[in-house]
Amino acid sequence: MPSVRLKPLNWHPYIAPVELSEATPEQLDAMKVTPSAKKVSDYVRTLAHDPESYLARTILFNAIMYVEDGLARPDRELGALGASMVNGCKFCAVVHARRHAELTKNNDVVTALYLDRPETLGPRDAAIHSFARRLSVTPSEATADDIAALRSVGMNDIEIIDLIHAISIFGWANRLMHVLGHAEPGK
Amino acid sequence: MIDAMDKAAGLSPDDALFKARRFRPEFVNGAEECRLSVLRPANDQGLSADLRLALAYRMAVLNADVALTEEYGSQLARLGPTGQLSALAQGKTDLDEPLATIARHVDLITLTPDKAEARHIALLAEAGLNNPRIVALSELIAFVNFQTRIATGLRLLRSA
Repeated sequence: MPSVRLKPLNWHPYIAPVELSEATPEQLDAMKVTPSAKKVSDYVRTLAHDPESYLARTILFNAIMYVEDGLARPDRELGALGASMVNGCKFCAVVHARRHAELTKNNDVVTALYLDRPETLGPRDAAIHSFARRLSVTPSEATADDIAALRSVGMNDIEIIDLIHAISIFGWANRLMHVLGHAEPGK
Repeated sequence: MIDAMDKAAGLSPDDALFKARRFRPEFVNGAEECRLSVLRPANDQGLSADLRLALAYRMAVLNADVALTEEYGSQLARLGPTGQLSALAQGKTDLDEPLATIARHVDLITLTPDKAEARHIALLAEAGLNNPRIVALSELIAFVNFQTRIATGLRLLRSA
């Protein structure tokens, strides 16, 4: 297989983001910026229209993707990638595909998924990817067989709980990024 | 103490999975904070609590989540919803505006988020939703779809 190397995309919102000069103290606090800050992403400023949910979700998102121990980081990224592909969020998919390749120093998993050849994945990646896809459709198609497959490649309950969260938080994030804006190739 | 996610997943303090879930207090507390931020926000951005619950019920049904459907149904019933909101919760589409447009959007993003396009946000704006309301609605939709997946995953893990 030729190796797929993805370039980052830029995200553009469909609605006007909050202008820092007009942001309320609560919005500024949620964005963790002072009014003099120049660089806050369009994504953050778009979601700052509802600062309560933005703040709560950001804290949870960071815990799910970056908390210590438990499920290995690349496995969380693979869960995020599988969900993002089902949910059609090209921006999220590229971000987390690239992160997976960086963390593993290997492009094979990303290549297999972008060339739609999941049958070439190793057993652990295949079990994670399949569960991510089946849990992400509405309604869920995940079954006890998926859990059995994860256990058969050596995952314990703590790791599976971490994976459920990594997949599910992209059921959330994808429904923001892909709904409130669109992705274009960067420069 | 049992929280909303334990309840949705059918976990009691005796379950090994209830304790395993507590290995990640960040996830347990974080999910609860998120639930409050979209279902009982201090500032509702013009989306009332009964409207939010009616939409949550509608999305729980689309996700075929019996436990969350029951939970949102009983919470909504306690607020004494209007006929329009009851119809919205029950999946009806012949509703007054802006509820009809909101309902179509909620169904689309719950079932087929990959089909979302710029025009769907434009339709919400045409129905009178301002930007804070569009974002608050998006977060509510996204949260319920997160919640149903966590609950589904935990239920599978508990019984497997």
